[in-house]
Amino acid sequence: MSQLRSKVISLYKHLQYLGREYPGLNGPQKFRKQIHDAFMNHKDEQDPKKIVALLAQGRYLAKEVEALYSLKKYRSVKQRYSYND
Amino acid sequence: MSFTQIARSCSRLAATLAPRRVASGILIQSQASRMMHRIAVPSMTSQLSQECRGRWQTQLVRRYSAKPPLSLKLINERVLLVLKLYDKIDPSKLNVESHFINDLGLDSLDHVEVIMAMEDEFGFEIPDSDAEKLLKPADIIKYVADKEDVYE
Repeated sequence: MSQLRSKVISLYKHLQYLGREYPGLNGPQKFRKQIHDAFMNHKDEQDPKKIVALLAQGRYLAKEVEALYSLKKYRSVKQRYSYND
Repeated sequence: MSFTQIARSCSRLAATLAPRRVASGILIQSQASRMMHRIAVPSMTSQLSQECRGRWQTQLVRRYSAKPPLSLKLINERVLLVLKLYDKIDPSKLNVESHFINDLGLDSLDHVEVIMAMEDEFGFEIPDSDAEKLLKPADIIKYVADKEDVYE
């Protein structure tokens, strides 16, 4: 149980760190609130299997955010160094 | 540091080094002349060389890019400033001894965010096992002071 709690806290830290550069108007603040609310919605969860499933979902979301950053970086660089116009 | 400050400290360093070289030369000559008459005392010789080496080494060590020196008062101010800037904390209720969860109304996730802010402020990582015990600003101040070997 303590191990799962440590994993949950590490995931929360990782997501908060990822969300510091979220794009859009007030992006970081919105992302932080969304993550906080998502974690708080499951604060009464006690089943270890469900907690592991939710942790996997959180890790998937982290990968999605990283992919979003990579895609945004690619589009920015492509737009800046376009030779066609 | 700016370039003029570096140049000034270098010239000051050179000015302080030059007379000691001359003095050490004179001392070496007197030692040699003394050895022609009788045997020199080894402890005095080793002590003299150690003193010279220590002085040169201490003077040649430069501290341009070290961290600013910390004191308990400065740590206290920085911790309270970070907590005041946190948007879920009411600055009027904030005190060194106020409990994050009971007095300031934060939850466990907000506490994790506060610990992350402290990590960013002081530049080192706080493990989760230690973070669970830091429930007051006074605890954070004590933890940072112990981490940085600050006692006054």
